[in-house]
Amino acid sequence: MGVLTHLDKFKDVKKLKKTKKWLKDRFWAEISHGAKLFYLSGLINGKYAKREIHNLARFISVMKFQPLSWRSSHPYILVDRFEDVTPPERVRMNNKCDRNITVFGYLRGCNLKRGTKVHIAGVGDYSIAGVTGLADPCPLPSAAKKKGLREKEKLFYAPMSGLGDLLYDPDAVYININDHFVQFSKVDDANGATTHKGLGFYFSDKDPDVGEALVKSLQNTKYTINEKLEKSFINLFSRKPNISSEDQSNANHSKEALEEIPNTEPSTQYQSGEEIEADGLCGEGVDGDLDGSKSTGQDEGVQEDALTRSESSDSDEENSKAVEKQGRHKDQLKEHIQFQDGRLRRKVIFGNDINHTELKDSDEEDGSDGNTGDQDDDDDQSSSGSEFSEEDREDQKKDDDMGNISMWKQSLAERTILRQNTNLMHLVYGKTTSTATTSNNEAQDSSDDEESEDDAFFKPKGEGSKKLRDGLVDGNVNSNDCSKYINYAKDKNWKKEEVCKSIRDRFVTGDWSKAARGNEVADANSEDDDVVYGDFEDLETGDKHDGQDADDTGNRAVHNEDDLATEERRLKKLALRAKFDAQYDKSEISEESDEKEGPKFHRGEANDSGHYEKMKEDIEIRKQMNIAELNDLDEATRLEIEGFRTGTYLRLAIYDVPFEMVEYFDPCHPVLVGGIAIGEENVGYMQARFKRHRWHNKVLKTRDPIIVSIGWRRYQTIPVYALEDRNGRHRMLKYTPEHMHCLAMFWGPLVPPETGVVVVQNLSNNQAGFRITATATVLQFNHGAHIVKKIKLVGYPSKIFKKTALIKDMFTSDLEIARFEGAAIRTVSGIRGQVKKAAKEEIGNQPKKKGGQPREGIARCTFEDKILMSDIVFLRAWTQVEVPCFYNPLTTALQPRDKTWQGMKTVAQLRREHNLPVPVNKDSLYKPIERKPRKFNPLVIPKSLQKDLPFASKPKDIPSRKRPSLDQRRRVVMDAHERKVHSLLQQLHLIRKKKIEKRKLKEEQNRKKHEEKKAKEENVLRKRRREERQERYREQDKLKKKIRRKVEA
Amino acid sequence: MEDNVRYKRLKGSSNLRLRLVLATLSGTPILVHDIRADETFPGLRPHEVSLLRLIEKVSDDCLVQINPTGTKFKYKPGIMMGGRCEHDCGLSRSIGYFLEPLILLALFAKKPLSIKLTGITNDSKDPSVDTFRSTTLPMLKRFGAPSEGLNLKIESRGVPPRGGGAIVLTMPIVKNLEAVNWIDEGMVKRIRGIAFSTKVSSQFENTMIHAARGIFNRLLPDVYIISDHKTAAQAGESPGYGISLVAETTSGCFISVDTAISYLRKEESSEIEDERQELTPPGDVGEQIASALLEEIDQGGVVDSTHQGLLFLLCALCPRDVSKIRVGKLSPYGMETLRHIADFLHVKFHIKPDPSTGTVILKCLGCGMKNLSRKLS
Repeated sequence: MGVLTHLDKFKDVKKLKKTKKWLKDRFWAEISHGAKLFYLSGLINGKYAKREIHNLARFISVMKFQPLSWRSSHPYILVDRFEDVTPPERVRMNNKCDRNITVFGYLRGCNLKRGTKVHIAGVGDYSIAGVTGLADPCPLPSAAKKKGLREKEKLFYAPMSGLGDLLYDPDAVYININDHFVQFSKVDDANGATTHKGLGFYFSDKDPDVGEALVKSLQNTKYTINEKLEKSFINLFSRKPNISSEDQSNANHSKEALEEIPNTEPSTQYQSGEEIEADGLCGEGVDGDLDGSKSTGQDEGVQEDALTRSESSDSDEENSKAVEKQGRHKDQLKEHIQFQDGRLRRKVIFGNDINHTELKDSDEEDGSDGNTGDQDDDDDQSSSGSEFSEEDREDQKKDDDMGNISMWKQSLAERTILRQNTNLMHLVYGKTTSTATTSNNEAQDSSDDEESEDDAFFKPKGEGSKKLRDGLVDGNVNSNDCSKYINYAKDKNWKKEEVCKSIRDRFVTGDWSKAARGNEVADANSEDDDVVYGDFEDLETGDKHDGQDADDTGNRAVHNEDDLATEERRLKKLALRAKFDAQYDKSEISEESDEKEGPKFHRGEANDSGHYEKMKEDIEIRKQMNIAELNDLDEATRLEIEGFRTGTYLRLAIYDVPFEMVEYFDPCHPVLVGGIAIGEENVGYMQARFKRHRWHNKVLKTRDPIIVSIGWRRYQTIPVYALEDRNGRHRMLKYTPEHMHCLAMFWGPLVPPETGVVVVQNLSNNQAGFRITATATVLQFNHGAHIVKKIKLVGYPSKIFKKTALIKDMFTSDLEIARFEGAAIRTVSGIRGQVKKAAKEEIGNQPKKKGGQPREGIARCTFEDKILMSDIVFLRAWTQVEVPCFYNPLTTALQPRDKTWQGMKTVAQLRREHNLPVPVNKDSLYKPIERKPRKFNPLVIPKSLQKDLPFASKPKDIPSRKRPSLDQRRRVVMDAHERKVHSLLQQLHLIRKKKIEKRKLKEEQNRKKHEEKKAKEENVLRKRRREERQERYREQDKLKKKIRRKVEA
Repeated sequence: MEDNVRYKRLKGSSNLRLRLVLATLSGTPILVHDIRADETFPGLRPHEVSLLRLIEKVSDDCLVQINPTGTKFKYKPGIMMGGRCEHDCGLSRSIGYFLEPLILLALFAKKPLSIKLTGITNDSKDPSVDTFRSTTLPMLKRFGAPSEGLNLKIESRGVPPRGGGAIVLTMPIVKNLEAVNWIDEGMVKRIRGIAFSTKVSSQFENTMIHAARGIFNRLLPDVYIISDHKTAAQAGESPGYGISLVAETTSGCFISVDTAISYLRKEESSEIEDERQELTPPGDVGEQIASALLEEIDQGGVVDSTHQGLLFLLCALCPRDVSKIRVGKLSPYGMETLRHIADFLHVKFHIKPDPSTGTVILKCLGCGMKNLSRKLS
């Protein structure tokens, strides 16, 4: 949208109108047809009119963009929070080691699946080491109306803003509390302790005194230092290095803190905070021990699971459960105390317990799957039976853990059905992926990391899961690859009547209603399952409307038909609503624009709106269908199938990014993490339709490096420009055309066709001209580039026969000649010919006689006429142009932000810097052409031809004379009379000449006069004509207006 | 260049076709090792090498490196080019083996493919070319492949052991597939089929047709099996006969079975002492294949067990929309396909059995595959 100012400087209304129109046309030509222009009428008291600014703001807010296909088809995250989670030990050892980072942010674009790679803008491509969905840190305000915004309820979201008072991390939740809330009681301390160091929410603005710190630290230690050290030692063996080492260092810290308290520094507070963290970790360790889990690696998984679980579930329900749980176990009692202290912290530990049992549960399932894995579906029933019993046991266990919550038993039957469903998935995918989320993977990854840091990330993603089902696959590694499944288990004899009867209803000759019912029942069943499943979910969260639902299922089976219909209707309705919304917005806009800018704008929109509308509608319907299909799945499966949905708050862990990213991280600059689709990490040649931007004042040179921005990526590359000839040949251009599209071929990471490209030459901020150099659209990509340029081979005749000649210097070898056999050649004088073959040695090429090697590269060519030794022979051909395989990703995030990224320089830049002159090829310079007059040999007519010629045409054989002839030699001597006559004649001639001269002069003058006269008359005439025309137009216009008025009336 | 390519390491020769197709479509270089390393004849089989050749032929800048023993190879996919070409499929597997991966690759090529494949058109191991024409190609149409340019012409038939058949396959290209909601299997309304024979009496066909009809007669009157008797050059090099049946349902699903009877190939028959093996008589073949078709119909689902894998692949290659399909009992190949899809494309299916009909309903969100090699006009 453009804004026009200073329009009040135009005094003349007509002129203003004209200027507006002219500017609009120009704007449309420059930007896009139909682009909006806003006119500000002018300053009043040094300010723009408030109303107008208001309108402008409204226009900006309701501006409609064409949806960007790139953004809608790729997931991306604008990073809210950025953490360096490298084990501090590693950093201490080597400050420049590759870092592990986590980034947080809302997922946009489209769903993010596990295993997608990401591109961090300005850094590079990385595979995601772990993804976790988190609760929205800034949820939408509840529907209840509030009068004002209290301090506690403030919702605030902006990138890198710290997101208010809550922070989520894999092992804790941090709450930020203002300084003045901090008191001496233990309650606040526990809260305060959780303040995270990374974000700089220190309390220690005012220096705490020594005693305070001492008391606080003592308050918080539940264990003696020895105990702590022991526990951290246990953790030392854990598979995840960072926690354990942190733990240890924390313990050390606390020790130091206690020792150093006498000479307190401002940091003691923070150290004591860490101490508490250590405490918590130790506590968890203890929990793990109590539960009898031996592998600490599993423990890690548990912790992380706990986090995801606790965050995804509703906190209120958790609370209520926690209340139920109160006072069951000793350690839980302890947790309960913590619950009263710090609200969310308790949850973490509570979740721990549940999840631990769940993990076990899943482990057991694993085992059972291993047993049933190889068997067919037929065995499903039995296996599910066995599972049932396992389930029972589990539940017993769970009961032990959780107390006798009667709800759990009620749903057992439904649960078995559910298990069976997921079982088929387990059978196929061989792994309990539903409970063990990425965090599990992460744990595994990190363990791998410890074992062999180099290898871990070069392993494909699927490897982990493969390991688990190796038992299943191992047997038939080399099995026959055959899609046909021959299961002619001929236990059924289809000749028998009763066997045939069993499938009679699958034929049109059978019972139609029955078949239809069969289908329906299937649908009903599937829905029932869902309902049952819903029940189960509810049970878990503690709600009690299962009985009601059970009734519902009965009803539902009956009303299934209705349901289907209603479902369809609902979909349509939703789609319609979306469509209406879109239309409503649009009409609103167009109305407004009508008000403001007259009816002209509307025209353009109306034209394509039909197509757009239809497409939009289709997309909307499709979207609703997808949502409807996926809604009936449980969360875990849904995550598995569609990935993380847009709008989820995500935590991405990315390993091994360069340390510069952390070092030069600047929260003022956005960090963008974009997902890479299939096939986009490969590199190759891309062909783009390329146009120099009309505001850029120079044409671009082939092979001058440019910086392109395609999708998420920005990189420097070397393009070769080309134009497509009529015969489909891509001919190289040295420079881009001034105002035309051309093709640009460059090397880089591939993107799908139709992706837009923006080209700049220089990244620096202070440039005089317009920065955008060109725009382009990717047309296709190739693994090879086929661009050609013209090449002229030049040769000289070395020997001429009649119409055949041997041409030297054109080719360098006989092999080369073989390549060009049959190629058309031409002499300068225009005699056409053809390359035949490499010349044989004995004909014109006899260096052997002279004792040398036979010379290669002499070609025998034939021409349509005999050529001369002085002729030059050309061969016009095309040669392939290599597009350099060069691309240099921009690493703007890996350097200080105020520094300009410097990539490859152009040749011109280098020359300028090193003060080198442009090399000049002497042969290319223009020189005055000196041509010697040609000396032709005398024409010789063959005797046989001469014989037949008539005498007149025959060359006469006149012997040349030594002495000049008599005529030439004699002198003329005039007598007196003759002399007189001669002089008289001369005088007469002179007189005549003068006369003619005079006459000419006069004529010239006359003509000039006449022309002047004519021009005058013409002028008058033209004026009159113009007036006439104007009069006529005026009348026509009047007439038109009259007609229009009539029509309008 | 070579060093920084990260190969996905896979083991064993199983599901080579799936691996190659998915590697090509997802652009992942693969390294397959331990190919029959412990067997008497280690390494790649001729048909596998031929398949690699075929892929090399229809794609641009792809790289295949096989180690001297053939137990390990590297494959770096290129861009599918399409265009016109010819390929000799050899005699160790039938053309059906090559067609299954080829049709998927050709859909995502730069130009429409027109390829002449020579070799064995019908055998008992792989789906026959008749089945391809009657069942597989209509299935592609459901996923949005344009019907013009989608054609398979059988120029001559060839059966093992010496082959001699030839087909011409033309495949269009797509921008992207369309997600399907395909759970209505419908009721069988007609059964069609082709019975063929090469270098044997045309009575063989009639016997097979008669036997097959005998079984269907009780269920459906609309059964029409045409006979295709090939002679001379069109009959290939070896004698044989076979039949392919297709059941079409009211909702437009095609369920097919096929088989072919001929003498065994040399390497297979070497174990058998007899000079001439006993071939199944045509009457039995007809009955067996008709029973097999009924079995497939009994299984339920919108496709037969042979096409499950292809169906799953097509669903997974859809744009990011939900596809919902119903199949009968999951076949082992189908399950392998699901696993490989999860490995390569990161698409997992939600699998739910439908106990009342004994079928399985699968749902998935496509991987958002677009034809990247297509040229923008």
